Amino acid sequence: MKLTWGQRVREARVTLWTLIVPPTVWAVHFLTCYLWVAISCAKAGAFPRYPWAFVAGTVAALAIIVASGVIAWIQSRRPGDPPPHDKGTDNDRLRFLAVSTMLLAALSFVGVVFTAVPAVMLTDCR
Amino acid sequence: MSLHDQDDPALRKAQEERLRAVWEAPKGLFFRWTDVNNNRVGNWYVVTAFGFMLFAGVLALIMRTQLAVPDNDLVSANTFNQLFTLHGSTMMFLFAVPMFEAVSIILLPQLLAARDLPFPRLSAFGYWSFLIGGVFVSGSIFFNAAPDGGWFMYPPLTTRTDLSGLGADIWMLGLSFIEVSSVAAAVELIVGVLKCRPPGMRLNLMPLYAWYILVVAVMILFAFPPLIAGDILFELERLLNWPFFDAERGGDPLLWQHLFWIFGHPEVYIVFLPSIALFAMLVPTFAQRHLLGYPWIVLAAVGTAFLSFGLWVHHMFATGLPNISLAFFSAASEAVAIPTAVQIFVLIGTLWAGRVVWSTPLLYAVGSLAIFVIGGLTGVMVAIAPFDWQAHDTYFIVAHLHYVLIGGTLLPLFGGLYYYWPLVTGKKLSDRMGRTAFWIMFAGANLTFFPMHLSGMFGMPRRVFTYPAELGIGGLNLMSTVGAYAFALGVLIVCIDLFRSPWRQKAGRNPWNAGTLEWLVTPENENWGVRSVPLIESRYPIWDQPDFVKKVDEGRFFLPDAEEGRRESIITTVLDSRPIAVIRLGTPSVLPMLTAIALGSVFILTTYHLYMAALVGAVATLGFVVAWLWTGTGEIPEKPEKPIGHGITLPLYISGSSSPGWWAMFITMMADATAFSGLVFGYFFYWTIHPEFPPSGPGLNGPGLFWPMVALGLAAAGWAATIGAREVNARGGTGAARLLLAIGIVASMAGIAAGLAGPWTSDLVPEQHVYPAIVWTLAIWTSAHSGVAAIMQSYTLARSVTGRLTPTYDAELRNISVYMHFMLLTAAVTYLTIGLFPVLA
Amino acid sequence: MLTLLSGCNERQSMFATFGLTAERVAALTIFMVVAGALIFIAVMALSRHAIRAPENAISHTQGMRMVLWLGGIVPAVSLLALLIASLPLMRPLPVTAADLVVAVEGEQFWWRVRYPGPNGGAPVETANQIRVPVGQTVELRLTGADVVHSFWVPGLAGKMDMIPGRENRLVVRATEAGKYRGQCTEFCGLSHALMAFDVVAMEPAAFNRWLAAEARPAATQAAPGAALFEQYGCAACHAVRGTAAVARIGPDLTHFGARATAAAGILPMERQAVARFIRDAGDVKPGARMPTYAHMSAADSLQIADWLIGLRPTETRP
Repeated sequence: MKLTWGQRVREARVTLWTLIVPPTVWAVHFLTCYLWVAISCAKAGAFPRYPWAFVAGTVAALAIIVASGVIAWIQSRRPGDPPPHDKGTDNDRLRFLAVSTMLLAALSFVGVVFTAVPAVMLTDCR
Repeated sequence: MSLHDQDDPALRKAQEERLRAVWEAPKGLFFRWTDVNNNRVGNWYVVTAFGFMLFAGVLALIMRTQLAVPDNDLVSANTFNQLFTLHGSTMMFLFAVPMFEAVSIILLPQLLAARDLPFPRLSAFGYWSFLIGGVFVSGSIFFNAAPDGGWFMYPPLTTRTDLSGLGADIWMLGLSFIEVSSVAAAVELIVGVLKCRPPGMRLNLMPLYAWYILVVAVMILFAFPPLIAGDILFELERLLNWPFFDAERGGDPLLWQHLFWIFGHPEVYIVFLPSIALFAMLVPTFAQRHLLGYPWIVLAAVGTAFLSFGLWVHHMFATGLPNISLAFFSAASEAVAIPTAVQIFVLIGTLWAGRVVWSTPLLYAVGSLAIFVIGGLTGVMVAIAPFDWQAHDTYFIVAHLHYVLIGGTLLPLFGGLYYYWPLVTGKKLSDRMGRTAFWIMFAGANLTFFPMHLSGMFGMPRRVFTYPAELGIGGLNLMSTVGAYAFALGVLIVCIDLFRSPWRQKAGRNPWNAGTLEWLVTPENENWGVRSVPLIESRYPIWDQPDFVKKVDEGRFFLPDAEEGRRESIITTVLDSRPIAVIRLGTPSVLPMLTAIALGSVFILTTYHLYMAALVGAVATLGFVVAWLWTGTGEIPEKPEKPIGHGITLPLYISGSSSPGWWAMFITMMADATAFSGLVFGYFFYWTIHPEFPPSGPGLNGPGLFWPMVALGLAAAGWAATIGAREVNARGGTGAARLLLAIGIVASMAGIAAGLAGPWTSDLVPEQHVYPAIVWTLAIWTSAHSGVAAIMQSYTLARSVTGRLTPTYDAELRNISVYMHFMLLTAAVTYLTIGLFPVLA
Repeated sequence: MLTLLSGCNERQSMFATFGLTAERVAALTIFMVVAGALIFIAVMALSRHAIRAPENAISHTQGMRMVLWLGGIVPAVSLLALLIASLPLMRPLPVTAADLVVAVEGEQFWWRVRYPGPNGGAPVETANQIRVPVGQTVELRLTGADVVHSFWVPGLAGKMDMIPGRENRLVVRATEAGKYRGQCTEFCGLSHALMAFDVVAMEPAAFNRWLAAEARPAATQAAPGAALFEQYGCAACHAVRGTAAVARIGPDLTHFGARATAAAGILPMERQAVARFIRDAGDVKPGARMPTYAHMSAADSLQIADWLIGLRPTETRP
């Protein structure tokens, strides 16, 4: 049976691994920005020549973070009691992880925005 | 066994006797020290770390006395430099991190209603390593040989043997030894949290302290290895004159700064998060309600853990890196304040919504939050690079970091001491003395460190043994000195309170009326931990689950007995904590202590350049480790499974990805891979700073493509043989598996030779330039891993030949398969880097 | 208290500014301190209120909303604003090819300073004092000779490390003439605390006159001290331009007497102090490379000190 995207999202299960997807995206984005500039300044002696790549990378990072946040949000709205999700049921465990993932996605989103600001405001190697 | 059976008091009594006998601590002048139970080892650990804290505090008092007035000459520059180096190093490496691990070793099994940690002997090994390394490092000051290069040990001051003495080696090797034991403890704590929870304790029901342990231990796992990589380069430069940080031969002092601070900044959060964890336990108790916003705490802990690895360059704002690079780290350093703020407001919100019971531990918690908030706000200031260019390496930073560490580590620990003392001893400490001590310490801390903000901004650099009167900061410094003595008085009052404890009455069970599992402990504090392992249905089971304590005590939950006379614990699944196995835990043994002594001797003898003796120590270490593993792990049980109550029967043996041993190997290898990535980072770092890299010239051309590719092929062969052995063994092909393992051993041994052949045959001279030095280092690292692979394969082969490893019971083979995956990865990265990259570059 | 205490020190404080960057940072600092104090008071007031509130004073939902706003949104927005406000301060001052370039090298435990020669002449080397013209951009090229040092003149600009094998650039512009002090701020060994220097900001015309005078050889005449200087082998390490002493191991002493202080900012320029340093440098400054002259008589050291203090360019002689 072929699943629709909506069904797949609802069937997807947040785990400890998916919990760390948003902050991992932040980390990758952060390291990429830093290393790219550092290597470019050290080896070529100049600011990276393709500033649009920063924009593209940042947009991509934000998109992944938003996507995982949305998926988590959908899962957190599975039927059940309101927070604090402190019952020993499959549902509550899932919704707890979903809410945590959603919050981490929000923090990671802010983190990526913070990282992007310097690349916009400082564009040389001094 | 039905619930009914437990109604019989005689049966319960018999069970208790059996449990008590099984968990009895060894006695005797010597043998009591071979104990491995988390209660005993945790207590040793706490007392030792506390002792190091007092020692480092005394060093600070001497420093403050020296700085009380301008142009003082109470101690010489030489002594002063040893004092501040040892003060910082001791507080960080011998107090803050070990104290977190020590407290966690005591608390974690209680929090999880486990009888002990999954690897009790590993805890004992960690403790002995810590004690030996700690005494070695801190004792050096009595021989005027203490490290004197600052706790950050910046080369070239510390690597040039004409500018620094034995102290640098003592720091580097002694603390490397302790770092190894810290990583070992982290492995144990992670496996404990993930695999040893009681049935039903799903991730959303885990006590928050356990969440923090998980997060902090993972941080240790990724933060310490880069420093270990740095230590390796550092000692290679000091002992063998390989020029990693010598600019004249292509090295760069900045590489050390990167590696040190990739460790150093997460370190700050490693020592701070456990305090919030303590708050997250005691605030609900004294607010008498559930913590508000449980997922927010998880968000904050995980978020902080990630962000804290993106902050390291803010310790290097003044190193002249491009400002755009600095700005990325400035941004991340601002962002990390957000999860910190979340944690603080969660605690405030819980107090707001709850019914606050005022108490001494809560006083410490609230008071330290006040101090911490100041430290956090100045942290936001110094994260702004232009301000940091002024504040960096001045007393402003000294003030900032002490506000953070006193508010974020020290006072919370004292609060935790007052909160958890009944858990450990069954007795409460004095409220009156506790509060007096608190107010004295609170006033003392502010009087010491608030003026330092000003003295820093008025021009006082850090790490100066004196300052001229003309700077006009004499008054501020005198205030700081008076405050330091006041603080010491507060600590003294706490110590007196502790010493009076043995003469006090036992308090009742669960004296604070808390809701979490650790308070199941009885004032008698039996070594077995909990009478029976409960089924958890709530975050605060003592509050929420009816008759919970009574059921636990009457053995109405799981595993209420020790029929076979073995120490046992339940293994559960990671997410939902479904019971999957019962494992037999390690019993008291002298091996952990002997291993620690042998390994310690390797580090200590190397410090004094006694290489042959160190080699003997290394062989002894290997012997003890093999003996330990052979006799203490992978035992084939006398029966395949046993009932744990309520109609549940669990296997007594578990292998593969759901077993604690597999997880321990996986986690250890994550740390190993992180250290390795530090070395690889070094290679590419040198590539970025040199216009021509690899350089060319005599002694610089190599290692060629041939030998690295041969070594890579052999690593792949060793990997394939081992994985093949695992698969055919599982299908019953014992003989074929043994043959494959033998082939694997040959491949691994040949891999050692081929790995070293590249730099050897091309005559790379590591003393000449940093390029041959880093190539040699990567080759040696990988060859050493091939050697370990050969040892593991031989061990597994021996297990199979002696019938200790069978197609059903194959944990060793599955565990070394994990190692081989990482081995292959390491070999691929190393040999492609050193072999192929020069061709491409 | 701040004004009271900063009044004590007008030479080495980030609030006693005489440079453009330091002025901007001081303003930013005061803003952050005030904002931080307000936040601290607010958090403490809220905590006090929370502790005193009766049970269920806020519901779970209200509590979570507070965490979201006070712990999440407000910090995120205000920190972002602070970051954006601070980033422009990270742009170094613009430099042109015509701007003055001064090379400063940190060594255990003193500062080697080199100016471009006036009118394209040979570079002028001096030690332990830095002079900058007011109102002009100056680029400092900072290097470390042996270990890592850090160059910090709080009144002028933030600090910058001096790292062996690297050349760091710090661009400064003094705004006010005066005499100030700087100090090493990266731990660099035994006498890290004793590694300071004098900073003089001068009107451009005066600066040019000074540099021209500084470029001239030492105005030395035959004196007992000169002979003793030679006799004790001081020239093995030191240079005094215009004499036979040309070594570059220790500080250049050409116009020694014209400096405000001796021994890298730690001794007054007066004969007893200088003589003491000459005889036993290791006692004054532990770990200094200069050997101890235990056999040197007090009289000899005073003679050398007198001669050295007499070394001043003609213009600046009183």
